[in-house]
Amino acid sequence: MTREQPDLVSGLPPEEATAVLALGAPMTLAAGAVLFRLGADAECLYLIRSGRIALTLPMQIAGREQDIVIEEHEPGQTLGWSALVPPYRFTLKATAPLATEVLAVRREDLLNYCVAHPRVGYAVGLNIAAVIGQRLQVFQAMWLREMQRVVGRVHA
Amino acid sequence: MEMFLMVLVLSVVGVLVSGVLFAAAMREPGRADAPAFGALAAREEERFFMLRPAVRPAPPVRVAADALVLQIERHVRLEHAAAEAFLLFPTFEALHMRTLSPLVR
Repeated sequence: MTREQPDLVSGLPPEEATAVLALGAPMTLAAGAVLFRLGADAECLYLIRSGRIALTLPMQIAGREQDIVIEEHEPGQTLGWSALVPPYRFTLKATAPLATEVLAVRREDLLNYCVAHPRVGYAVGLNIAAVIGQRLQVFQAMWLREMQRVVGRVHA
Repeated sequence: MEMFLMVLVLSVVGVLVSGVLFAAAMREPGRADAPAFGALAAREEERFFMLRPAVRPAPPVRVAADALVLQIERHVRLEHAAAEAFLLFPTFEALHMRTLSPLVR
């Protein structure tokens, strides 16, 4: 990994971080490969080890469905937290724009480990909350900016 | 007498042939010929210069759609960056800071 510690295990001692990461199974994605699709069952959380993952949402443009890149994630970042939030379905599509390696951590394995190691579970929970919170705050601000433009057009 | 008739017939034939040729040369281009010539000219024009957009209508639409996708993705990146900047220093001005996005001008 290019970062010292992936965001999922940020703040954990090295041996505990290593133990959490050992729960994951490495996956290699070729350029253009799909990691998960919109609406699919979310069973795993993913940590990017190398390469990049693009998160997209579909839009209808000129009568065709087009995937629009909403976010791009880099090594060390966690994605696929829909695996920890009911109803456990992905709300975006994830693809690898270039050859990419990820670590797939199954929800069940992570939750079982956190139950057995509450201190680690607390730290991991806070880290996931930070990832989710950051996404929420960014998109909340983007939505409000768009609403301000709508109001500006209405009152123009 | 035979000689005279032969010369007379040849002269008449010659006058007729000359008349037909003259009429053909002086005639304006016929309407019947125009479509064939026009179609031929159009094919030549399309083949060598490809000036007629109606020949391939699909690519311009596709190009426009692809360009729009790129514009939207650029817009999203700029809006994302603006939102992240707002989160670092949350103020009203930062929240509504303008970007260079071509979609909001």
